[in-house]
Amino acid sequence: MSTQSRNPGDKRVQQDAGARLTRRTVVRAGLAAILAPPWLHSLSPADAAAIRGIGPDGEIVLGVSAAFSGPSRGLGTELYRGAKSYFNHVNENGGVNGRKVDLKLYDDGYQPDPCVKNTVKLILEDQVFLLFGYVGTPTVTRVLPMLKKFQAQRVYLFFPFTGAQPQREPPYGDFAFNLRASYRQETAGLVNNFMRIGRQRIAMFYQADAYGRSGWAGVRAALARHGVEMVGEATYRRGSRFTGSFRAQVEILKKATPDAVICVGAYAACAGFARDAVDLGLRVPIANLSFVGSENLLNLLSQGQDDPDAYARYLVNSQVVPSYEDTSIPAVKEYRELMARYDPQVPAELVKEAYTPFPHSFVSLEGFLDAKLMVEILRRLKGKPDRTGLEEAVFSVRDFDLGIGEAVSFGPDRRQGLQKVYYTVVEDGRFVTLDDWKAKFG
Amino acid sequence: MKIRKLFQKTQFGIFALFGLIVLSTSALTIYTVQTHLSTEYESNSRNIAKTIADASVDILLNRNLATLQSLIDQFVEIQGIRYVYITSDNGEYLAHTFVPGIPEAIRNSDPFETATVKRTLPGMGEFVEVGSPILAGFAGTVHVGMDLDVIGLKIQRAIGQQVYLISILLLVGVLGSIWFVNLAARPLGDLLAFAVKLARQEEPDGAQDERILARDDEAGELARLLLHVAQHKNAPDEPPPPAAKGAG
Repeated sequence: MSTQSRNPGDKRVQQDAGARLTRRTVVRAGLAAILAPPWLHSLSPADAAAIRGIGPDGEIVLGVSAAFSGPSRGLGTELYRGAKSYFNHVNENGGVNGRKVDLKLYDDGYQPDPCVKNTVKLILEDQVFLLFGYVGTPTVTRVLPMLKKFQAQRVYLFFPFTGAQPQREPPYGDFAFNLRASYRQETAGLVNNFMRIGRQRIAMFYQADAYGRSGWAGVRAALARHGVEMVGEATYRRGSRFTGSFRAQVEILKKATPDAVICVGAYAACAGFARDAVDLGLRVPIANLSFVGSENLLNLLSQGQDDPDAYARYLVNSQVVPSYEDTSIPAVKEYRELMARYDPQVPAELVKEAYTPFPHSFVSLEGFLDAKLMVEILRRLKGKPDRTGLEEAVFSVRDFDLGIGEAVSFGPDRRQGLQKVYYTVVEDGRFVTLDDWKAKFG
Repeated sequence: MKIRKLFQKTQFGIFALFGLIVLSTSALTIYTVQTHLSTEYESNSRNIAKTIADASVDILLNRNLATLQSLIDQFVEIQGIRYVYITSDNGEYLAHTFVPGIPEAIRNSDPFETATVKRTLPGMGEFVEVGSPILAGFAGTVHVGMDLDVIGLKIQRAIGQQVYLISILLLVGVLGSIWFVNLAARPLGDLLAFAVKLARQEEPDGAQDERILARDDEAGELARLLLHVAQHKNAPDEPPPPAAKGAG
């Protein structure tokens, strides 16, 4: 029984193999051999044909599906800007082993179905080298089964902007590599700190989807370790805007008389909730996870306020990267320099709604660190950008210094590079590191 | 439209018969469609609940609640399904699709219930809820809520289409019956006019008289007989004209 390849690349290989060896072919091959870049000389024709994700000029193409439109467009935009600033820097300085790194971008608006379609396009049509910088749990959890489906082609997802468990655990953990700490670690840190200062009645406001549930599960597990249960919970629909009302959710949580509320959502809804909570008298610490997009959250809460901290003084946000204000950290210094030098913008064809980016943000710093580690991994492929060597290249990263004071290591049982969680609060209209929980919220 | 007195009762009878047919057919259709669709929706809900339950076993055992949520979110996109929630083996709500929160009526209900239950949730509407045990109930229970308003709307639409068709048939039937009655009544009208003319001892001369006399049915026979009687009432020995074949 013959099988027909559905992959256009495979078809091309079959056709090439069947081509007749003529004098013209030999001359062409000779010319190609002379003109080809040096790295190609080390590859057999079969190897060269097997390479996916290499652009016409030999650049390595990474596929990105992220939110560049909709209420969460700030997340995709900031993550892209941070990553792009580092890739631009690398490309300007000779690339990775002589190759430039290019990003193939698609917008999914933080919705699962478009994300799945984009991923199919990236894998089958664009044949990108790997998937990079996806945004969101509901999107990534729907893409993971597809990576399993294409496991023979070794399509990996690198450094998605989500701390959910599905891409960290079986059965899909083998197809993704994470840099950031997990939501489980973030929520556990928040719960532990609240417990330590005597705030035991924890309630939750979360997005009614996989992201929200992931955070909910983390909070629940952390509370269980302290022998307590969540006192209340309220949800909102993904895609809710800041202008919407969250009073129903606040009323639900008020009945539970919580000591603190942990929010697992995107910035538009979490800002709306914080606003309505303060307005309705629910004045307790309101914690948010790193995914929220802290600067966008603060921006919404400060708009049109005489006192910019009126709503924001109750916020405590966990972060998975250090403060971008701390220029004593080498990577932060480099990030600020490169962001100032390149100030990358999302390509105009992907911009559907206006968005004013921040000069610096936690999300763009994360994107920057993602790109920095990605480049290091590509560099370890040693001039042979073959997907089959990717996993080995990742596992060779041991105690790597990204420049943030935390060594990064990967291994077969360790598919997450960073473990540390940072906590920030708003002071004078900006996020600063929270050192003393007792003094702030005790 | 002129209907002869003779056929007024027939006309009424036809209306009554059609009306009865329409009412009884509509009632039967409403009952059938409602029963059929309700059963079908309940059956679909049960199948969906079972599908989720079957797919949830590994996910639940791995405590992967984000994937579980992702799974149930996909089913809520199906028309008619308004909510899905999963309770654990100890009755805890592990995943759900409620916004802004789990309704009190659900919280106060039996988390292990798998029988069909009708629920009224304030602010949400009326629902039919079915359940399906996960791993024979040892891993939890899946609950699926179908929106009765959506089902009702679909039933109304289906019934509306049936009634629309029957109403068109009724209208066509009634118009047709009027036309047929008038068709049958017209010779009688001509015959009556002809008889009146004879009674007034007027000579038959118009086209209407010619038409009634030329008919080969009972009306024509009667017209010719009346003419014969009128013409020969003073000459009784002359035999009447022969009756048409088959005439009674």
